[in-house]
Amino acid sequence: MRQVDIIGADMTAFGPQIETPLVELGARAAIGAIKNAGIKPSQINIGFFANMQAGNITGEFTVGQNILWEAGVNRIPVFNVENACTSGASAFNLAWTSIISGMYDVAIVVGAEKLVVPNLGLLQAGATELNVLEGGVVITNFASRANLHMDTFGTTKEQLAMVAVKNRQHAGMNPLAQFRKPITVEEVLNAPMMADPLTKLSCCPNADGGAAVVLCAAELSNRFTSKPIHVKASVLVSGIYDQLPDLFKFEEDLRAGSMAYEMAGLGPEDLHVVECHDAFTICEIMHYEGLGLCPVGEGGRLVESGATSLGGKIPVNPTGGLLSKGHPLGATAVAQIVEGVRQLRGEAGDRQVEGAKVYLAECMGAEKFGDAKTCTIIILQN
Amino acid sequence: MTSELKPVKEGIFEVGPPPRLRGAICPECNQKFFPRPMVCPHCLGELQDVYLSTEGKVYTYAILRVKPPYKLPRPYAVGWVHLEADGIKIHTLFDPEKLSDLDFGRQVTLRVGAIGVDNNGDSCLRYYFTPQVGGEQ
Repeated sequence: MRQVDIIGADMTAFGPQIETPLVELGARAAIGAIKNAGIKPSQINIGFFANMQAGNITGEFTVGQNILWEAGVNRIPVFNVENACTSGASAFNLAWTSIISGMYDVAIVVGAEKLVVPNLGLLQAGATELNVLEGGVVITNFASRANLHMDTFGTTKEQLAMVAVKNRQHAGMNPLAQFRKPITVEEVLNAPMMADPLTKLSCCPNADGGAAVVLCAAELSNRFTSKPIHVKASVLVSGIYDQLPDLFKFEEDLRAGSMAYEMAGLGPEDLHVVECHDAFTICEIMHYEGLGLCPVGEGGRLVESGATSLGGKIPVNPTGGLLSKGHPLGATAVAQIVEGVRQLRGEAGDRQVEGAKVYLAECMGAEKFGDAKTCTIIILQN
Repeated sequence: MTSELKPVKEGIFEVGPPPRLRGAICPECNQKFFPRPMVCPHCLGELQDVYLSTEGKVYTYAILRVKPPYKLPRPYAVGWVHLEADGIKIHTLFDPEKLSDLDFGRQVTLRVGAIGVDNNGDSCLRYYFTPQVGGEQ
């Protein structure tokens, strides 16, 4: 199989950027990534743009073409991709596939989202889906999992809160993160209750932002950069939907994870740094387990041990994660890849994991019958 | 009055009494589904209508404290009921009057009642499960 490298990466700050249009958020990241790659826009053969909500919120469509035109890219095939929170990693998977197939040599992936909108309300899956009509919202879905995890494995509210505290501490070392002021376990527990046991500080904030990466066939990447980052695995799975979900674990993580580790010829013990989809504190704990960083049921104790903090055995979410960096849906999973590039190049500043050589990014999105509809895992190596 | 209200979605339950959820079964795969898919997703064969059991056990639940959608009560509880006789777990509202009786494994019984509004903003009927107080754990 043909090998693929990432040769360029960039992103905007995440957070409220009310005055900046969606196209500008995406284009800033795209221009940055193209310059970072040391490539001319005309050398890019195919483009992918990830976004989830623009069609709903502002009625925009085929935004990718507008963004890429601002970045000097036209004429080539452009695809607009929506796959909930994994839209960016899904677009990346398509870009990777387009290069390993031999059809294209250089691809760009851009993700951008504007989500800081007055009166947006709680995010729902879709106005015709039965679980939504019956009162299900995203946070009740994860609060249900948190309650079950606590009942099944003895995970504590304090352990859940430690995820938010850790990621906030990490965000203090990331100038692009939305929230950087340290918080304590007590502050997380005493914040306004959203859906027990999840308080306001247990949930990721809506954000605006953009991120982009440039991929290149590995045999060509040294024309452009001396620091190519190798894509060792890119996996996307959807759910099983057998209507008998085990809500105390992420079956999709376990399945996608084993596929990704096999593809990469690596295992969880080989990882140096991880970013995962910590939309709510419980998610990060369950992703530890799904990715094999610890056995199922041990995630709460893993965060409490400090192993997933910077300086620990396997740092998770050094950027601050969705919880503190913010979650501009379409940009989120592309930004995870940007962080992978920076960590593996040794360009991550104060949050650099010393000597990082293997990086994993996990993302997950949407829900049907208790199963995730989409789960992505990307493994990078320098 | 209740009988004049429409279900939050047509075809998913019968008001009764007794109220009943309308699922489907594939006679080839012997698998039940709720809500009813177009065909059996395993064999693409035709499905038969079936009423699901009206009793189950709380698998897990969550209580939403913030402003609710669909003018549901504040707070309200949603979660999952294991219909053991049918071999499926379904997402459901729980009885908003009995939040403190919710617990893992608690026996619950199906009800249909006027709760909240539909996508058009009209008051409507929803299915929910109510805990059997003193019920088997």
